[in-house]
Amino acid sequence: MTADTDLVPIRIAHPAPEAVAARAAEADTVHQPADAAISVHKLTAYYGTKLAVRDVTFEAGQHAVTAIIGPSGSGKSTVLRALNRMLEVVPGARVEGEILFHGINLYDRDIEPAAVRRTIGMVFQQPNPFPTMSIYDNVAAAARFNGLVKTRQETDELVERCLRRAALWDEVKDTLGQSGASLSGGQQQRLCIARALAVNPEVILMDEPCSALDPIATLQIEQLARELAQQYAIVIVTHNMQQAARVSDQTVFMSMNEERAGYLVESGPTAEIFTNPRNKLTEDYITGRFG
Amino acid sequence: MFAERVLRATGRRRRGMDRAIYALCIVAGALALLPLVLVLAYLLIEGLKGWSLGFLVSPPGGITSKNSGALNAIIGTLEMTGIGLAIAVPIGMAVALYVVEFHEGRAALIVRAAVDLVAGIPSIVIGLFIYSLIVVRMGHYSGIAGSVALALIMLPIIARTSEEMFKIVPRRMREGTMALAMPRWRAIGWVYIPTVAAGIMTGIVLAVSRAVGETAPLLFTSLGSNFVVTDPTRPMSALPLYMFQNALNIGFPAARQRAWAAALTLVAIVLIFNILGRWLGRRTLASGTRT
Amino acid sequence: MTAETAPGRPESPAALVRHRGLSVGDPILKWTVRIFSWLALAAVGVMLIDTAGHSVKLLQHTSAWDFLSGTVWQPASTIYGALPFVYGTVVTSIIALIFAVPLSLGAALLVNEYLPAAVGAPVAYAIELLAAVPSVVYGFWGVVVVVPALRPVQEAIASSPLGAIPVFAGPVAGPSYFVAGVVLTIMILPILTSVARDSIRSTPRIQREGAMALGATHWETIRHVVLPFARGGILAGIILGLSRAIGETIAVLFVIGNQPQINASIFSPGYTLPSVIASEFAEANQPFHPEALIGLGVVLFIMSFVVNLAARAIVERFERRAGGADVR
Repeated sequence: MTADTDLVPIRIAHPAPEAVAARAAEADTVHQPADAAISVHKLTAYYGTKLAVRDVTFEAGQHAVTAIIGPSGSGKSTVLRALNRMLEVVPGARVEGEILFHGINLYDRDIEPAAVRRTIGMVFQQPNPFPTMSIYDNVAAAARFNGLVKTRQETDELVERCLRRAALWDEVKDTLGQSGASLSGGQQQRLCIARALAVNPEVILMDEPCSALDPIATLQIEQLARELAQQYAIVIVTHNMQQAARVSDQTVFMSMNEERAGYLVESGPTAEIFTNPRNKLTEDYITGRFG
Repeated sequence: MFAERVLRATGRRRRGMDRAIYALCIVAGALALLPLVLVLAYLLIEGLKGWSLGFLVSPPGGITSKNSGALNAIIGTLEMTGIGLAIAVPIGMAVALYVVEFHEGRAALIVRAAVDLVAGIPSIVIGLFIYSLIVVRMGHYSGIAGSVALALIMLPIIARTSEEMFKIVPRRMREGTMALAMPRWRAIGWVYIPTVAAGIMTGIVLAVSRAVGETAPLLFTSLGSNFVVTDPTRPMSALPLYMFQNALNIGFPAARQRAWAAALTLVAIVLIFNILGRWLGRRTLASGTRT
Repeated sequence: MTAETAPGRPESPAALVRHRGLSVGDPILKWTVRIFSWLALAAVGVMLIDTAGHSVKLLQHTSAWDFLSGTVWQPASTIYGALPFVYGTVVTSIIALIFAVPLSLGAALLVNEYLPAAVGAPVAYAIELLAAVPSVVYGFWGVVVVVPALRPVQEAIASSPLGAIPVFAGPVAGPSYFVAGVVLTIMILPILTSVARDSIRSTPRIQREGAMALGATHWETIRHVVLPFARGGILAGIILGLSRAIGETIAVLFVIGNQPQINASIFSPGYTLPSVIASEFAEANQPFHPEALIGLGVVLFIMSFVVNLAARAIVERFERRAGGADVR
């Protein structure tokens, strides 16, 4: 059966007890804000011998948009890629610390990186639809090889569903057979989002998704991010502060220390960070005094 | 609920497929390397049996003679490759200069296309061409015809390498020679060529490695000879021709042994030149255009 | 390297002023270069015309159509038909491609995708060394080692149920299209592998990462991203290998059996265009025999010319698409 041979649910024998207890306690309470989807504990990453980020700790909420902001080189993308285990693809990259996803440490030895990536999806800075595939196939590809759809009808429904959710359906519904690369930048990025949605993730990571797009496309993506947050947890890296202020519920501010290693300066609800930051560095950055 | 939030690991079928492809690729790689190992092994084992220094310096005797050597072939190869280089190097560099330095538009493109055309011609057809061009006119086979055939084989390699080398002469250097009001011919001869000499040498070495091993173009040009000949207007032998003639007489053990010995010598020469050429090429790339 | 330190005889200021105009050396060099280049061009042109002229003489004896479609080659009776050799060239090249394409793809993937760089680089280098071995060595080694080794294989297949199919039928003599195809495989493997490696290596990382971020296994990434991307380059490499296989003379000569016939079975002996020319030219004293052989040479030249043009066209077409592979 497809589910058996293509995907296998895995359960870890020993999730962190605190997380289990916390979940058990929360089960009966009414909706709690900033219910953590991903908890990052003292994340430290190296590229070979060079320290990239050190001791990063924060939480990304369940149905919220978390923005990671900071100047260039502060390790924002490094942290983001650590979240879905894409960092280790770089030769020589090493990760220490814990990243808890519903109590499971994603870097546990028993956990397969591909499994993590199916549940924590990613949209890249440069839109990268598969150029040799049609729009339809782009969205369907991952669902197909992950064994999530079996019949042509299921695939059709999935493609339509994902393209609708990515606000792209109306624009491409008559040209699904065209190459994925024939779309405009903003459309391509929405296609990539649709593609990520097709695998049924829980979290969607976005690495500066608008930096290669024009202002109108940028606004469209931002709006999409807010809509998607109703159902998924979104973590977005951006160098554009105004974007972070518009889009996110929580903000994480990172900076670079004297040894050119990234570290977390401050994190919290976006409204607080932008109006009443605790750290002077944060205030300087927000007001444009550096970075 | 928590229990449903699991990660989806890759199923058996997909993992099996992944591993199967890996295994297939290993088999392919092993099969690809096998011939090299086998050829070298046979060459060493069989070739060394009949090989001695005497082989290189004794003139050939009869087919069954035991003490016959390959002096005629060695001299022939040296002489014809030498004359061939004397033709191919100036013309090859001239063509490269014509295209890069004196770009005369249309004419340069035509010349370049002609050289590329020659590169694609099977070596036996080149032999036929030179037969028509020279052997028929001269009335007999000769070392000169063989040399010209070899020159045609080497020409495209030298021209292409020289062209690439001249293209990467840095602009600052060009501007420097112009600032000194250095005449073009001085600039080319005294500055550019010495700068990219290593790269051009690479092309020459690789071309020689190719020419030394070619049999077909010599079959109807220099024909081969059992006498040690130094006069290029007469038919001459060459190492591959020598080996070819002995290999055809496979029934006679002495001839067979000579063929193996010749093969060992030939491959040793060719590999040395090939490896030398590639090493030179890497050094040139690594150090830029500095000598 | 600054202009001041460029090697060159230091000129006195007066000399510099004198040379400000046209130096004598410049036009000399220019004309020398021009002459040499045009000489090369002229030589190529004359060669083509001369050869064509010789082969035109053949038309006095046989019409072009009879020559190209003739299935009998019997110099003793001055009958010259080119078809057996065209057939042999095509069949051996196809066999070589059938074996070499999957092998080279597998080897290229192995070196680029699976092996660590330290191990992969020597393996790739060794495969490329295969290309340096002269064809006469492959031919001799082929007849001494490969023919005897493959004879039992061919006999086994011919006497098995597969032997009922004409392509695999006996009788088996030893040298055959099949053995020639195997030797050609070895000879074109390096170029196919090298080109495939370049194409595979040039797949942009961001495309790979896109597939990996969707939970693809390594093979799935290769299959959906890397291979489609490298398609153009790989195809061009195949055509280059084909061009090499078509023109290979000496190696084939030793192992194909040298029978000018057309036989459906790949286990039977045959002949190819280049190998018959090499074989018979020295003793071609029948009337029109040399001209016929030169005519075969013209056919061979046209075949390889067309294949090379195709390779060039494919490279350009794929380079125009989404960042195709760079193939030399």
